[in-house]
Amino acid sequence: MKQFALWLAAFVAIQSHAAEVIPSKPPGYFQDNAGVVSKEAALRFNEQLAQFERETSNQVVVAVFPKMQSDSDVADYAQRVAQSWGVGTKAQRNGVVLLVFIADRKTSIQVGYGLEGALPDITAYDIRDSHINPHFRNGDYEGGLADGIDSIFKAIRGEYKGSGKTVREQYRRSGRPSFLFFIIFVIVLMIISRLMRRLGGYGYSSRRSGPVFVPMGFGGGGGGGWSSSSGGGFSGFSGGGGSFGGGGSSGSW
Amino acid sequence: MNKFAIGCGGLLVILLFIVFVIGLFFWGTYNRLVGLGQGVDTQWAQVQTVYQRRADLIPNLVNTVAGAANFEKSTLTEVTNARASVGRVQLDPSKAPTDAAQLQQFQAAQGQLSNALSRLLVVAENYPQLTATENFRGLQAQLEGTENRISVERNKFNTVVQDYNIAVRRFPTNMIAGMFGFSPRPFFAAQQGAEKAPTVNFNFGSPAPGASPAATAAATP
Repeated sequence: MKQFALWLAAFVAIQSHAAEVIPSKPPGYFQDNAGVVSKEAALRFNEQLAQFERETSNQVVVAVFPKMQSDSDVADYAQRVAQSWGVGTKAQRNGVVLLVFIADRKTSIQVGYGLEGALPDITAYDIRDSHINPHFRNGDYEGGLADGIDSIFKAIRGEYKGSGKTVREQYRRSGRPSFLFFIIFVIVLMIISRLMRRLGGYGYSSRRSGPVFVPMGFGGGGGGGWSSSSGGGFSGFSGGGGSFGGGGSSGSW
Repeated sequence: MNKFAIGCGGLLVILLFIVFVIGLFFWGTYNRLVGLGQGVDTQWAQVQTVYQRRADLIPNLVNTVAGAANFEKSTLTEVTNARASVGRVQLDPSKAPTDAAQLQQFQAAQGQLSNALSRLLVVAENYPQLTATENFRGLQAQLEGTENRISVERNKFNTVVQDYNIAVRRFPTNMIAGMFGFSPRPFFAAQQGAEKAPTVNFNFGSPAPGASPAATAAATP
C-alpha cells in the first residue's frame, strides 16, 4: 500500500513536471506554427531576419504558436524557450526572441544579455504596445509581426557588427569544430599506439597492426537541415549559444 | 638476480604510475570544485546585481507616485520601509552565502519588498492620471523586467548551487571536498506563493499573494 502511494506520488510529480513543453529549436528564423501568416510573408520574414544576422550578427527569431504549453507566466516560459534555443552568439549574447501565443493572446519579447542596453524593457514594451498589439487586436497578424520586426531591427541595429554570414553559414564554411577535435583525438591515439608498440611487451604488440580505437558514427551528427548556399533557398537558423536573463517585455494584447 | 631487479623496477614503475594517477585525480577534482564554487559566486553576484537594480528603481518610483494627487500614503511608506529593511541585510556580493539562515533572512527581506511593490502597483491602477504618464509607464515596464530578471537569476543560481552541491556530496569527490573545506551551499527556497510573487500582479479580482486585508481594502477606496 505504501509502495503504491509512493508510485502514485512519483507519477503525479512526473505529470506536473510534464505540464510544460519547451518547443524544439525552429528550423528557420521565422516559424508560424499557428498558420496565421501567408507562406510568402513567412518566407519574406525569414529572409529578412537571416539578412539582418548577416549584417549585424544579431540573431532575431520570431515564432508563432497556437497556444502556450506551460502553466507558468508567459515571461518565465518565454525566457526558458529563448534560453534553450540559444539565440544569439555565445560571446555577445545578442539574441532577441519574439514569441506569439495566439489562443492565450500573449506576446513576449525576450532580449539577450548583450542587447539589454540597445533594447531596454521600456523599448520592448513600446514595441509590443504600440507596434504589435494594435495590429493583433484587429486580427492583422502579418502587419503586427512586420511592424514588430522592423521596430526590433531599428532598436538593435548598430550595436554589433556582422560578418556577412549567419552562424549556420559560418559552420558550413569552416566545418564543425568538434570534427577538428575528433581528428586530433584520432591522431593522438595513433601516436600512442605507435609508441606502445615501439616500447613493446604489453601484450597486444604481437599483431603487426595494433588496434586503433575509432568510435564510429561520431563526425556526421548535427548536419543536414536546410541548405542556404544555392540562390533562392531557405535560410536556416542555428543558434550561437546566446543566453537570456529575462529582459524584455511580455503580456497580453 | 637480474630478473628480480627487473621485477622490482617494474613494480616501482607501476607504483609510481598509481601515485601519478591518484595525483591526477586529486588535481582534476580540486580544480573542478574550485571552478564550480567560482561559478556559484559569479552567479551570486548576478543575483545581487538584479536585486540592486530593483532597489535602485524604488526612489524614482516612490517620487513619481508621491507626485500624484493625494496618493494612498500607507502603501508608499510600506515600500520605503521594505526597501530600508532590504538594505539592512546586505550580504557580500562577491561571495555566495555559506550560511542557510543568512540567505533565508535575505530572501525574506526581498520577498517583503516584492509584496510591497506589487501592492503599490495595484493601488496605482486606481489613479488613471498617474498611470497614463510616460514616466510611470516606463518605471512599470522596468520594474516588471527587473522582477523577471530576478526570477531568472535566482533559478540560475539554484542550478549552479545544485551542481556544486552534488559534486561536493558525491563519492569520491566528497573526500577531497572534505579535505579542502568545500561545504555545500544553501540555495533559494520556494516560499509558499513565492513562485508567483515575482510577476507583478495587475489583476484586480484577486489580491496579490500574501497581501494583507488592510492593503486589499486600500486598493478599493
